[in-house]
Amino acid sequence: MNPDIAEAVTLDERGTLTIEELVEQSNLPEDAVRALVDYGALSPIDAGAPTWTFTASWVVVARTASRLRRDFELDAYSLSVVLRFAQRVEALESELRALRARTG
Amino acid sequence: MKYKDYYAILGVDKSATPDDIKKAYRKLARKYHPDVSKEKDAEENFKAMAEAYETLKDPEKRAAYDQLGRHAPGQDFRPPPDWEQHFARGQTSFDDIDLADLFAGLGGGAFRRRADPNAPIPGADYEAAVRLTLEQAFHGTEVQLDLSVPEYDQNGVAHRVPHVVTVRIPRGVTDGQKLRVPGKGGHGIRGGRAGDLYLDIAVSPHKLFRADGRDLFVDLPLAPWEAVLGGSIELPTPAGPVKLKVPAGTRAGQQLRLAGRGLARPDGSAGNLFAIVQIVVPTVADDAQRALYRKLSEGTTFNPRAHFESEATHES
Repeated sequence: MNPDIAEAVTLDERGTLTIEELVEQSNLPEDAVRALVDYGALSPIDAGAPTWTFTASWVVVARTASRLRRDFELDAYSLSVVLRFAQRVEALESELRALRARTG
Repeated sequence: MKYKDYYAILGVDKSATPDDIKKAYRKLARKYHPDVSKEKDAEENFKAMAEAYETLKDPEKRAAYDQLGRHAPGQDFRPPPDWEQHFARGQTSFDDIDLADLFAGLGGGAFRRRADPNAPIPGADYEAAVRLTLEQAFHGTEVQLDLSVPEYDQNGVAHRVPHVVTVRIPRGVTDGQKLRVPGKGGHGIRGGRAGDLYLDIAVSPHKLFRADGRDLFVDLPLAPWEAVLGGSIELPTPAGPVKLKVPAGTRAGQQLRLAGRGLARPDGSAGNLFAIVQIVVPTVADDAQRALYRKLSEGTTFNPRAHFESEATHES
């Protein structure tokens, strides 16, 4: 393996990270991460566990939340509503993509 | 250093109040923020307005910006004499400085507002868009990214430097997917960890294949006799052509599935390739061919519209 070539890693359900790592990778403060979990916008693997871990796919959501929080000056509740709409748009786009792929 | 007209970018007068500036920014951000907008050039527009807002919302930075005078956007300029002594102590050269980095660095830049002035500072995360062909997404590839990124000097002032990274993209990435390249963002300061590089993957449309997640779809045109009689045909796949058995009596619109011929999943399995059947008729037929079709029509009771009759009866 060439050491000069960096490996890109996928952010999916296979990888897990601690809440501290999620904070570090998303640039969201920990209290914002905890509030977003309370509002259901982020989901730890086991919300009842003493320390939360997340699948790596939540990094993408948390980074989006971080940008929206910074650029629109949103509080955690508003963020959770916006993220919910964003997920609905994403789901609709995914359905549209699926239809287009099937119909050409 | 190139001039940027922050007031014009936000569409406000130089005399605008902080409230006017905030309103203008919010209105534009709602339209162009890349996370909520599908406008063309949304990202580029948003970057420009966020940079303008970042400077104009801060009274100290706004005053420093106003002292630069007005120039034509894109025009090379130097700050007036003594400007740096008032606003950017320690700044000696403006040649490799971007206006955004200059204002981000006012008052100590990366080093300011730290409770512990000797604490490690983590490197910045970078983001880059990567466009791949479907073949590159299918097989995996290496891409070289030539980024221009801010690097902080000992005064905490950012200078634009080239940042070249070669990244191996794993096979099976999909359009819209985000990848993380650990440690390939900005350098940490005073022992801080390096930032990460995040890649936004876009896969260009392909002439033959359409993707839905890791499944691929390809139109498969068949002659009427191939559909009726069946047979073996050659089908292109991203991994090269394969032989496909077409069953006798194949209908238009039917999907023939080639298991595991789609894009690879991280767990080692793969999506499927679906060949969508189209029945294509020859547009030119000579007398002999027309005679054969006529003979075929006379020798069959097949009625492709039989259901019209039964459904029309059912409706009435």
